[in-house]
Order: sequence, then C-alpha cells, then structure tokens
Amino acid sequence: MADSAPVSGNASPPPSEAGVSRRQFLGQGAAVAAGLSALAAAMSPLRHLSDDDLPSVEEFLQKHYKEMTPADKERALERIREQVKKRYGVDAKVSDPPPLDGVEFVYGLNISRCIGCRKCVHACVAENNQSRSPEIQYIRVLEMEKGSIDLETANHHYDPEQVPRPDKWYMPVQCHQCANPPCVKVCPVEATWQEPDGITVIDYDWCIGCRYCEAACPYFARRFNFTRPEIPKDEINPNMSYLSNRPRQKGVMEKCTFCLHRTRVGQLPACLEVCPTGSRKFGNVLDPNSEVHYILKNKRVFVLKADVGTLPRFFYYFDERGSRYHEPITPDTKGKELKEGA
Amino acid sequence: MNALIKFAVPLAFLVCAVVLVLDPVPFVSPVAARVPTPAWATDPTPVRQPKLKPEYVAAGFTYQCMDCHRIIPSPAETFRRLTQHTEIQLNHGINTRCFNCHHPTNRNAFVDDFGDEIPWDQPQLLCAKCHGPVYRDWQAGSHGRINGYWDTTKGPQTKRRCIECHDPHRPPFAQLPPAPGPNTLRMGRPVPVEHGGRRDPLRLFAPDNHSASPH
Repeated sequence: MADSAPVSGNASPPPSEAGVSRRQFLGQGAAVAAGLSALAAAMSPLRHLSDDDLPSVEEFLQKHYKEMTPADKERALERIREQVKKRYGVDAKVSDPPPLDGVEFVYGLNISRCIGCRKCVHACVAENNQSRSPEIQYIRVLEMEKGSIDLETANHHYDPEQVPRPDKWYMPVQCHQCANPPCVKVCPVEATWQEPDGITVIDYDWCIGCRYCEAACPYFARRFNFTRPEIPKDEINPNMSYLSNRPRQKGVMEKCTFCLHRTRVGQLPACLEVCPTGSRKFGNVLDPNSEVHYILKNKRVFVLKADVGTLPRFFYYFDERGSRYHEPITPDTKGKELKEGA
Repeated sequence: MNALIKFAVPLAFLVCAVVLVLDPVPFVSPVAARVPTPAWATDPTPVRQPKLKPEYVAAGFTYQCMDCHRIIPSPAETFRRLTQHTEIQLNHGINTRCFNCHHPTNRNAFVDDFGDEIPWDQPQLLCAKCHGPVYRDWQAGSHGRINGYWDTTKGPQTKRRCIECHDPHRPPFAQLPPAPGPNTLRMGRPVPVEHGGRRDPLRLFAPDNHSASPH
C-alpha cells in the first residue's frame, strides 16, 4: 500500500493545464451559444432576401455600357426582359436605340402658356416606370408670384381648386441636359455621361449610388432610389430601353432622359404629348425647320441659372405682346396648310 | 467578479438576440402612402373636341349649320336678344359681333376680311385675321399643340388647331384642376404659412411628415 497515493479525480480537482472544468465548460459554452444566437438574430433579416435582391453572376460581371460589344448588349437586354417578366409579368420590348446622326435635342418651354396643371409630371411617371411609392418624379412645377423669379420662395406644393391662379406663374423644372454637365464631372465611376445627341444618361447597372451627381446638379433634376421602386404591374410601360425607362434597382440614381426610347425613334416625349396648352416644344436644334430652331432664333429665351455655366439644352421662352403687330401675315400660306392629317 | 461576467455576458447576448428577433421598436418609414393619380392626368386628349360635342352627336346633328339655316335664315344682326344659341356666352374682348367671324349667308363657313368664305375646317385662317403674331408662331410651331412624331419622316404629326384648345366664344384657355402635387422624398411637405412658406430641411423627415398629407 506504499504506492496507494491518491490518484486524480477526487472531490476537489485542481484546475489542470490539460482541460477545463465542467463549470467552466458550461459557462463558456452558454456564452458562446448566446453569442451565436444573437449573431443569428442580427442576421435574420437576410431570410427575407430573395435571389431577386442580389445581382446574378451575369449582372455582376457585366461591363460598362460603353465597353459592351453588341453581343454583350443583346445579352443584357435579354436579361432585363427576363427580369421584367419575372417581377411584373409583362412582356417588355427592351431596346437600345442609338443616338441619331445630325441630331441634337433641345427643349423649349413657353412660360407664358404653362398653366401649372402638372399633367406633364404624371405622364412622365407613367412613361418612365418611376417608383410610385416612394414617389419619384422627374418634373417639378414651381409656382411663383407674377413679377418675380425667386426660386427660394417658389412653391411646388400648390394645390388650389383651379390653376392657373391669376397672380401666379408656373415654371416646370426637369433635367436640362446641360452641354457642360456638372453631374457627369463628379461621377467617380463614369456611370453617367453625355451622349452625342445631348442627352445625359445613366448606366443603372454601373451606378454605385454615391449620389454625388444629385448634389452637383443645380436644378435638383436627379433622383435616388432609396428602396426597390414600387410599380403596380398594370402600370408598367412595356416600351423600355436600356438607358432610359427600364425598371431601376434599389440604390441607383435616375433622371429625365428626354424619353430617349421615344425621341430616338422620332416620337415626342411623354410630357410634351400630354401638355394641354402646347407649352412644351421639342426637336432637333440642328434642323433649321424645327420648332425649337425657330424659338431660339425668334423668341425671347432664357435658361435657368445661366450664371452657373451649365449651358442647358432646356430653354424657357415667352410670348411678347404687341411688339410685332405691324408685320403682315404671309398671304401665300393661306389655305395651303392642314389639307389632310391635321 | 469572474462569475458575474460569466453570467452577464451570455445574458447580454440573449437579450440582444431577443430584441433583434422581436423587433419591439417599429421602423417608421418616411415614405408616405401612395397618392393615386387620376386617369385624366395622363390623358393626352385635347381639352376641346369641337366637332364631336357628345350631346349634339347623340341628337343626330352633323354640325352642318345650313341644315337649319337654309330654311330659317337668321335675321340681320341687331341688338335684340338672341332667341336661339342662347348657351353661347360671347366673351371675346372687343369682338362682340357674330358676323365678324360667321359668314352672313353661308353658315357652314366663316368670313374673311373681304366678305369671302373661309372653310369651316380652316378656323386658323379666321383667327389669323386679328391674331397675326400668334398665327405666325402657330405656323412655325412655337404656339399650340403638336403631337406624334417630331421627325415627320418616321411617323405622322398632328398639329392641333386653335379651337381644339380655345373656345372661340371665350378664348382664354380655361382653368383646370391641378393633378396631385409631389409627395416625394426630399421634396418635403407643404410648409405652414406662418413659416413664410420657406422650406426647412430639418423638418423633411420629421415624424409628422406622413400624417400631414398635401391633400
């Protein structure tokens, strides 16, 4: 019995280097389990992610619009078609009309005829598949006191029974498609650029959502998708194009593109089509027979915030009264116009 | 001390987990409820369709004035009150005479400065008698509505004529109710008059923003 020394494992074992005690194990294990459950709880919103929220591999590897080959573009358009079909159940016509040669688009807006009815705002939303909630609108109609042009006190929330109010005037503001666009200069990833026909466009798949361009724009013409745009399925406009009105994703900028999916195939923009007073004029300024050419040549024209040097392609004009009453109407046009189709 | 930490750390983690799962503080979205857009706000139809006034079409009229006036010639213009066409409220400035515009014998036509007829479907030539500068602007396209295609080689263009917007008897463009105003993030809400109507950026996301509706 000489070597009957007590072996380990008796009543109060000293903590050994080899292992942990049961108490320590239970305590630390509980802490780890609680920590893991807290981590799982914190990540639980990920359960609500669908594969719709994450970019597909193809989308992730997609190149910048300007670096895409025609085959790449066709694949991207096909992917957008599938996405639209999946999300909205609509067979969309997704195109990518190129800028036309010898065309530079210019907009004219007659502020002496605008009555501030805001039909252009809602026609634009319907045409360009903007989010309905939260609401995104490209056009803002400012109401100002007659005799002043004070944008600081201009009101875009006016809501009288009838417009125009007799002592007010109205000035719709949207993207001016500047020839010297500050929004393009500040973009850190070149996701926005000016096309040869003067339209500043955004590659929604390249935009990182930093919103520098929104801050740079002196006209507040750019809008940010804080959430996934919410568009009712029956209000989707199926005539889409890559650079204009295809449905945007969360976290990207968007803006007026002069409805390039319409205007690059010869149609007029949606805001112009709906204007009840004909205050809105659109066309190719390089064509000497166009309305906008006539307006720039003959009417009194100004641009908004000319002092910031953005060189807008959006011109406000007005009708002077009584200045040319001595000029005769050219008699040779009498009865010649509007024989048909008018 | 050691035991306290051993007890407190798992408890704190568990409390975190419970709070994160139950989410007792609801997220208050600054997004207001959607304001429905009325259908007329996106309707590009001109405000007037003078030839297609529904009650006349339903009554079988084809707007050939001479159908009646061939049988019942209207008297020469006098100051006595009209017995027919009393719904016409003539409010056209100093132009207060019917026969300034209507042809005295052929009611299907208008009259020009020389007493000749202007066809009824060319009303812009009648208006041009007085409104020369506007007529010139209309010809050039800077006045009036043009719909369809800007590039006429690619599609048709519709040039609206004077009376599709203006009532010739009351020519100023009629007032309309405005479509709903913006409810947009970062466009704020209407500011009470006592704040001078100025936009206060700090109020944009205040919780009362979505209870206050512009309508």
